Amino acid sequence: MEILSFWTIVQLVLALVAILIFISGNAIILVWMERKIAGYIQRRPGPVEVGPEGILQCVADAVKLLSKQILKPTHADSLLYWLGPILIFFAVPLIFMVIPFSPFFTAYEVDLGILLILAFSGINVLSVLVAGWSSNNKYSLYGAARSVSMSVSFEIPLLLAVLAIAFQTGTLNLSTIVAKQGGWPWQWNIFVQPLAFFIYFVCAMAETNRAPFDLGESESELTAGFHTEYSGMGFALFFLAEYANMVVVCCVATALFLGGWNGPFLDGFWWFLAKAYGLLIVMMWIRWTYPRMRFDMILNLNWKWLLPLGALNLLGTAFVLKLIETPCIKEFLEGWGIL
Amino acid sequence: MIMTVLAYLAFALYFCLIIGGGLMAVFCSNLVRALVGLIATLLGVAGMYLLMQSPFLAFMQILIYVGAVCVIIFFALMMTAGGNENEDGTPIPLGKYARSFLAAIMPLSVLLPVIFLHPVDSADSPVATPLAELGRGLTEDFVLPFELISIILLIAMAGAVFLAWERRNK
Repeated sequence: MEILSFWTIVQLVLALVAILIFISGNAIILVWMERKIAGYIQRRPGPVEVGPEGILQCVADAVKLLSKQILKPTHADSLLYWLGPILIFFAVPLIFMVIPFSPFFTAYEVDLGILLILAFSGINVLSVLVAGWSSNNKYSLYGAARSVSMSVSFEIPLLLAVLAIAFQTGTLNLSTIVAKQGGWPWQWNIFVQPLAFFIYFVCAMAETNRAPFDLGESESELTAGFHTEYSGMGFALFFLAEYANMVVVCCVATALFLGGWNGPFLDGFWWFLAKAYGLLIVMMWIRWTYPRMRFDMILNLNWKWLLPLGALNLLGTAFVLKLIETPCIKEFLEGWGIL
Repeated sequence: MIMTVLAYLAFALYFCLIIGGGLMAVFCSNLVRALVGLIATLLGVAGMYLLMQSPFLAFMQILIYVGAVCVIIFFALMMTAGGNENEDGTPIPLGKYARSFLAAIMPLSVLLPVIFLHPVDSADSPVATPLAELGRGLTEDFVLPFELISIILLIAMAGAVFLAWERRNK
């Protein structure tokens, strides 16, 4: 068995604490960003009263959520009702462990990093179902059913897009994938695989239940969807998990497609965070620009467009990879200095 | 030393998950709770794979069984659930218990002789197999079973589509 030393455990615990701090601090910043961006897009100021530019508004909201009474509907299945929010949050710190913020800031290097992330983010879907079913409320059930049937189907093109990158780089280790890309935009994977990036990003938005794919909690029809019945910290955990998952998908996109910590100069975690936050801003921008799609439109988009495109992209990647491995073509390409 | 203790602790935890989840799956009268038990068992098995130095299998177990199969079962239950089977409180006939017991020991009756007649030499400590080697095994040495499984899955998928199609046209 691979020997983990005592210090590795200490390092893991420290990383876990740092990640938990990052997740909660990050949620506060992201909520503030979301409100401000929504405000600017809708030509209103957003929060301004509490603190400079309203940045303390989210702290006030957090205190309110913490002090709110936690309620459970009558006839709700109490075991599953409390399992839902716990389950949705418990995988999040684990996922952050393998994200390579920089060669130094990687909590735990795993060879199958991207697979670990995909596997544990699947638990999200399950907890949405558990929460929606156990609330004993038809709106929750509808919300859960919708969001799950969407997540399950969007997972397939997402996997196909990730697989294309894995084919190209020949590894599932996120750090290696980042290290194989350069600092300038034309050295990133997105330059070679623009379609895979597009598919990944659309699917990621669907997986995190963000508008225009926020059917699971469409306020105008289902009050709040699967978390209608949750109050106080129960709701806060769902909320935290949503924002943490947004960060996760943006971080994975950064590592897979945007060159991770590599930058034109001074490589480091600041580049990683800058790219990830750039993607987060794009996600918010999209949320406040497009209206919510109808359910059948979303599923048609997935099954009729994203899935065939993803499969074609994967086949094309495999074909090109085999092609440039053949000796005569390899010689030709090397002669022109492309490889 | 500390790692050995931790490994035993992890083993105990996974063992409890597997057994507890299994018991929950069998004895819960509520179908959804039983499914949660099944999920706990599957997670425990994934943990055992991790202890056996096969993280790839463990992650695949979570990705496919917990993230996809159980979700689909859950979905089907949610759409069809008509409450518990034994809602009116009539006692379950003894014959039913006997038959379920028989069904439960069926796999054992097949597996036990195999285990005792052909004991496997188990390694003292597990050795990790690189992913590339696994892939080569699937596409070279064991390509026939691999392809056969793919065909079975394809047929199942085509069948599912066919069934859904029939319904829709009516």
